[in-house]
Amino acid sequence: MLTDAERERFAQIADVLIPSAEGMPSASQADVDTVWIDVALTHRPDLDELFRSALVVGDGLPGAEIVELLNAEHIPAFEALGTLTAGAYFLNPEIRVRIGYPGQVPTIPRNDVDSYSDLLENVVERGPVYRDV
Amino acid sequence: MFTIRSRDLPDVADVLVVGAGASGSVAVKELAEKGFSVVCLEQGDWTPPSEFAGDKPEWELVKQKQWHPNPNVRDHPADYPIDTTESDVNPLMFSGVGGSTILYAAHWCRFLPSDFKVKTVDGIADDWPFDYAELAPYYSRMDREIGTSGLGGNTAYPDGEEFPLPPLPIGKIGRKAAEGMDKLGWHWWPGANSIPSREYRHRPSCLRYGTCLTGCPAGAKASTDITHWPAALEAGAHLVTGARVREITVDHKGLASGATYVDREGTEHHQKAAVVIVASNGVGTPRLLQLSTSSLHPDGLGNSSGLVGRNLMMHPYGAVSGTYEDNLESWLGPAGHAIESMQFYETDASRGFVRGAKWNVMPSGGPLGMRSGYGGRPVDESWGENFHRNVKANLGRSFEWGIIAEDLPDEANRVVLDPTLTDADGIAAPKLIYKSSENTTKLIDFHVDRAREAHEAAGAISTSETRLMRDCGWHLLGTARMGNDPATSVVDQWGRSHDVPNLYVIDGSVFVTSSGVNPTATIMAIALRSVEHLIGDRSNQLTSAVS
Repeated sequence: MLTDAERERFAQIADVLIPSAEGMPSASQADVDTVWIDVALTHRPDLDELFRSALVVGDGLPGAEIVELLNAEHIPAFEALGTLTAGAYFLNPEIRVRIGYPGQVPTIPRNDVDSYSDLLENVVERGPVYRDV
Repeated sequence: MFTIRSRDLPDVADVLVVGAGASGSVAVKELAEKGFSVVCLEQGDWTPPSEFAGDKPEWELVKQKQWHPNPNVRDHPADYPIDTTESDVNPLMFSGVGGSTILYAAHWCRFLPSDFKVKTVDGIADDWPFDYAELAPYYSRMDREIGTSGLGGNTAYPDGEEFPLPPLPIGKIGRKAAEGMDKLGWHWWPGANSIPSREYRHRPSCLRYGTCLTGCPAGAKASTDITHWPAALEAGAHLVTGARVREITVDHKGLASGATYVDREGTEHHQKAAVVIVASNGVGTPRLLQLSTSSLHPDGLGNSSGLVGRNLMMHPYGAVSGTYEDNLESWLGPAGHAIESMQFYETDASRGFVRGAKWNVMPSGGPLGMRSGYGGRPVDESWGENFHRNVKANLGRSFEWGIIAEDLPDEANRVVLDPTLTDADGIAAPKLIYKSSENTTKLIDFHVDRAREAHEAAGAISTSETRLMRDCGWHLLGTARMGNDPATSVVDQWGRSHDVPNLYVIDGSVFVTSSGVNPTATIMAIALRSVEHLIGDRSNQLTSAVS
């Protein structure tokens, strides 16, 4: 579980990575810092240490400068932070709806040969492409 | 839970199989159904479909760790570490019942006739000791066993290939890619996949999860834990999971006498056997043979040729991704290949290289999967407002033409025992020494350029390319090659060791050349052919007097 200070710092950084723009909510508006980061960390405990190490970089600096510093000098920590931030954002079902991604849901396969048979006839007409040995 | 070591294991098995993956599963099932006592030692465990994350929201998070195909990343207790510091490519595999079929993409491809005659037609490498016609009946039998979905009449094959199940949908990505190929007049065909398009032999139909590479949550994809092991166990086969084999033992004559293995409690056991089959993949098999030294086999078992571990082939993989205006729902599975192309598969000397590659169209996954390698690039390239723009531009709108480059055998590319690295049981880990060749570089350059043209012809608004993906070593081949000459090969055409007549290798290690297609269909067809010969020739089989 993140401390209050870690959560506050994370919210600051996460909103630089994922701001409110293009009609989409920011990370904090999508509850990334309060809800979904905890879910993400549950699934990726291997990133916990690197993630927390990112939260102590650049104490006192504005969020944008912390992000630049992480990207320049703390790449593994920044990659862990980025994976978890984006992963947490996309865990929010409302975000999935807004980007038009239904997730991986069961779909019955339907034979669609009729939709491409016209193109395939041309392949057949061109004849074999293997080497006769 | 790992299987508790069964009290009813035979003191001396007729056949001991090391590895419960693609080839080992075939051998165990065939032997058990013919009445032989068979013990299989598998270092991993069962993986029920409910454990796969493909149908869960966290799928894209856990696929980068817990279900990563690279064992060095996954670091599962069943995995062994592999030193890749001197390899251009990382080996990918899975340890468990079903082996790497648990995580494979299920592209079900036959070799082409020329693949068996590379020396004859191109003057390089070697011919195989048998040809396409010899293996074709075994391909057909495996098609039925695993339930291949495909469309007959493919003009890339001489017999047109017929399949027991109709093809899976090629979807919008397949249709879009096909439009480009049609404009260019290039070959394409709906991909054949070992994924049932409808219920087949008590297996459910595919449910189009695009997650085949992290396991099939529907339990549809043909992994051998569900296609072969139920029948094998019903026929009386013995399976010991959590059994890491440290050595194949030999008797005073140098014949294989069984194997020593360590269970998950760290206790060492020995299983005696009249015949030993090694089916541990192109890295695990040469590792085990090299670990099995003795006074009669000081350089490792079956290694009088010095070729155990050499000629490693891993199919360097290039890819061109295209982004389109239309929403192509490119997260939709299976993955699986929607369509393939063999247009540039055969050698054309004017291109400046020999051999070729199969192309395949695959889905591109969800929003997180499109993002990787954040660090070091300008922040605003991937983050800030561009985070949202990139998702809108790419999600569902991009797909990949993948290129499986034929990898030619080179003795310098090899698997050796690492001098310091060990697995959790203290057993020497394998080290890969592998460099992609100049021929491969030229081959991939040519194919990437053509694949970009294919995307452009299909209307892509942008493309990006990868000329050699590091995490691409799915196909581990050639490290115990077959042949008729004991000086230039490790096993004969039936997988029998030239040196140790009751030792067999039946996995991808025996490949003479790699082809440019996904090899699992060929691995399983060869395993079936080998084990049938073993059974048919049993009256001539030398065995150890271990009992």
